[in-house]
Amino acid sequence: MTTRLFSLWRNLVHRNRLDRDLDEELRAAFDLLVDEKVRGGMPPDDARRAARLELGSLDSLKDEVREARAGAGVDTVLQDIRYCLRLFRRAPGFTAVAVVTLALGIGANAAIFGVVKSVLLDALPYADADRLMRVYPYFLDGTPGGPLLFARMVHTIAARQQSFESLAAFDSARDAVLGGEDSPRIVTIAWVEPGLFQTLGVPAALGRTFHDDDRATGHVPVSGGERGPDTARAVVLAHEAWQGLFAGDAGIVGRDVRINGIPRTVIGVLPRGFVGLRGQADFYFAFDLGPALPSGAGWLGLVGRLKPGTTHEAARREMAAIWAAREYPKEFDSLGMTATPLRDAMVGSTRTPLLVLLASAALVLLIACANLAGALLSRGLSRRKEFAVRMALGAGRRRLVRQLLTESTVLALAGGAAALLLAQWMLSLMRGLARPVLPAYAELSLDPGAVLVTAVVAVCAGLAFGVVPALSVARSDAQGALRDEARGASEGLRPRRLRGVLVAGQMALCASLLAGAGLLARSLWEMAAAPLGFDPAGVLTARVRLPTRDYPTLDVRTRFHERLAERLRLVPGVDAVAIANKAPTVEDPRRDGFSIEGAPPTDAHPYVVYASVSDDYFRTLRIPLRQGRTFDASDHAGAPATVVISENLARRHWPAGEALGARIRLGGALVTVVGVVGDVRNDLARPDAEPMTYRSHRQESTQRLCVLLRTHGDPLALVRTLPREVAALDPSLPVQQAMTLDAAVGEGLASRRIPVMLMTAFGALALLLASVGVYAMFAGMATAREREFGVRMALGSRPRAIAGLMLRQGAGWMAAGLSGGALGVVLVVRLLRGWLYGVPPFDPIALGGAVAILVGCATAALLIPVRRATRVDPMVALRAE
Amino acid sequence: MPGRRAALLQGTLDLLILKALSAGALHGLGVSRRIEQVTGGTFAVQPGSLFPALHRLEEAGWLTSDWQPSENNRRAKYYTLTKAGRRQLGEEAAQWNQIALAIARALEA
Repeated sequence: MTTRLFSLWRNLVHRNRLDRDLDEELRAAFDLLVDEKVRGGMPPDDARRAARLELGSLDSLKDEVREARAGAGVDTVLQDIRYCLRLFRRAPGFTAVAVVTLALGIGANAAIFGVVKSVLLDALPYADADRLMRVYPYFLDGTPGGPLLFARMVHTIAARQQSFESLAAFDSARDAVLGGEDSPRIVTIAWVEPGLFQTLGVPAALGRTFHDDDRATGHVPVSGGERGPDTARAVVLAHEAWQGLFAGDAGIVGRDVRINGIPRTVIGVLPRGFVGLRGQADFYFAFDLGPALPSGAGWLGLVGRLKPGTTHEAARREMAAIWAAREYPKEFDSLGMTATPLRDAMVGSTRTPLLVLLASAALVLLIACANLAGALLSRGLSRRKEFAVRMALGAGRRRLVRQLLTESTVLALAGGAAALLLAQWMLSLMRGLARPVLPAYAELSLDPGAVLVTAVVAVCAGLAFGVVPALSVARSDAQGALRDEARGASEGLRPRRLRGVLVAGQMALCASLLAGAGLLARSLWEMAAAPLGFDPAGVLTARVRLPTRDYPTLDVRTRFHERLAERLRLVPGVDAVAIANKAPTVEDPRRDGFSIEGAPPTDAHPYVVYASVSDDYFRTLRIPLRQGRTFDASDHAGAPATVVISENLARRHWPAGEALGARIRLGGALVTVVGVVGDVRNDLARPDAEPMTYRSHRQESTQRLCVLLRTHGDPLALVRTLPREVAALDPSLPVQQAMTLDAAVGEGLASRRIPVMLMTAFGALALLLASVGVYAMFAGMATAREREFGVRMALGSRPRAIAGLMLRQGAGWMAAGLSGGALGVVLVVRLLRGWLYGVPPFDPIALGGAVAILVGCATAALLIPVRRATRVDPMVALRAE
Repeated sequence: MPGRRAALLQGTLDLLILKALSAGALHGLGVSRRIEQVTGGTFAVQPGSLFPALHRLEEAGWLTSDWQPSENNRRAKYYTLTKAGRRQLGEEAAQWNQIALAIARALEA
């Protein structure tokens, strides 16, 4: 094979050298001929003439030699290709099935690979990103999703660490108002330490990034609000915002912009494609953590660039050691501290579903290949006579095998081309669907790498499924085939067994995929079906943000809430109005430190979700009151601080029902429990509800609020009314994200639904391919034994006996496939375990359903050829002899 | 179809060339002369068939070639049988003997 490839290469590349060589060879032959004749006594002139005559025209001789050479190399490949194209044209059905099967298999792979590559393999948009790490606190008891860092933790780490050459803390992106009274726009801003961009290795595309002088001292954006006067004057602009908000104005650096009513100066623009670490922001503000007030909740992220030569592991160990040696060991004792490579932190929980999807796509490709192997095998068998004749006429066995390999490669390449189109389409679909679920830096494009891998997969698949039928032909001996064909013998045991193995393999792969899809679908169903604890139907939500400058105090904010609620209550169609810091399931919940006054510290992790709500919140969302009361006018700012807690929190800490009147510490405040309400699910990815606490908006409020309207009739009819009512109170306040709570709940499930949808789609694809495969294999088997069945029937066999024969055989292989599939199911279950909620890993409904669907489809696919076999007319079969 | 007839002749020619080279390396003209010699002049291979056949056999991996000085100090391209070529010679010779025997029997009958 290698020498053949080498000579092919030589022929193509060194054509000139070969020609020169040939020239020389023929000239030498001429000279030798002349010598010979001269030695024989001929005069030199005559000798030359005679030699020239004998050799004939040198040019035509050279042509013939060249043809002979080419014939042995390139030409046969072209010949093979031409021949197989002719064959494909003659069997359009087979060709279409083969190409479509391959396109689906390879296309699914290329698309998923494109996603996986862009998420897991592509470079992050930071310099030398392998040396960047996020520093995190985590719950020692394994509770997922630890809190953010407290300013104090950042100080401790920054003061002692040796692993990083630079460290920078940052806040998540938050809303702000850009512009003046007339056309306010909501934009997002993020507070960061000035060194963030240096740490990330991101230089400004225009102007500069922050210096330490740019810090807004004495001002901290704490969770849910801000403290101290906003003195930030210098802002850095993201590239997208520069293009979108300022039309790419080249003179933007130095320009003044008003954000939250305060004029600021743009000092620089970030490069295109910069990705924020906690949400995309339009503007970046620099803060100074130095005088940070101790606050009730963690709100900071921290990223560091490792010193050269320091390993991830060393940094991780150092973070743990610094944390263990902190001088406030009693606080945060449920937390540990660690560092994670930045990519892992950004990929987060998307990794598992992506790998599962990649594995599913690979299984689909395997099934597709088994299908094609089967189809080509059937074709190979039905062409045995053709091959036998060709061998009898002198075609080499190797040549025939090569012909078959060429056929499968041409098929694979055609399938690959179709697959690329399909993958392109699938990716554009994914771009729409999965955007919010994937990390922000993921490009989702079919890049050259993915295309190359697809091409390699296509060619390998072609060779793989070409080999089986090719081997079966090479093994068959021509004489035997010719004799058998003439006599009309049944097919041998070997191809029958090969078909059986392919059927069993397909069944096994398909069973694993369907089981996985079934489990995920069941788990999604459980998540969607578990009670929310509130009634989202008919509720409209929207967000409004109150700027600190105009709404600096609790009183001013509460007054605004109440005036707005009053106006909205008068709108026709509105039944109830509530104002809260957020709606359940929309956005991540805020957590705060929690402890019971007088109780010894417990092991249970002391953080609890909290919300700040208006009096009508529970009525509006129809959250039932279990005990005590909800908030009313008596919970004013000057009154004793009160809290309403969820049922599961009450049950956990006051199992005897004595929660009312208990005093708890929530963040910095000491509060008294006045009521217990029903549980509400905040995180839709979990079927169980997290414990919750509620404070009255009069006692604890935020600048960012969520307006909730319960309506009768279509809530969307009020989408225009809501901003009008807000504007009537304060025209500088923009209203954002008005949508129904139903839609918000649906969106919350999206991150779970997309992998399930994709996996179910792969399952369906696999089922389709496997059914076609099973059908094709048994149909091939039935055709090959048609004469045998004819003879059997002529000898008195009943159709039922023949059907029984085939069914027994089919059932045997299916059973073998299913038992092989059991192994696959165990693997799939192990892989998916972390993704299942409310479903046992070996859920009988999901697994039984998967098997039932598979067996049903396979049996249906089997019955068609069985019916055909029982209808064989013995006379026809025998006459064919 | 001329190809078909050429193929038949080709088979014989290939066998003769392989046989001629089995005793040692020869240049093109040498092959031709050797065949003439061993067949007692029955087959005179014309250069128009000889050179394409040599190149085809080389391409098939049965021969290799290199440039060597010839008997009267000219440079000529010498062909040598490869291992695969030797095997091929064995196969073709056996096949030919079978056919020849069968034909001879058929003619005797």
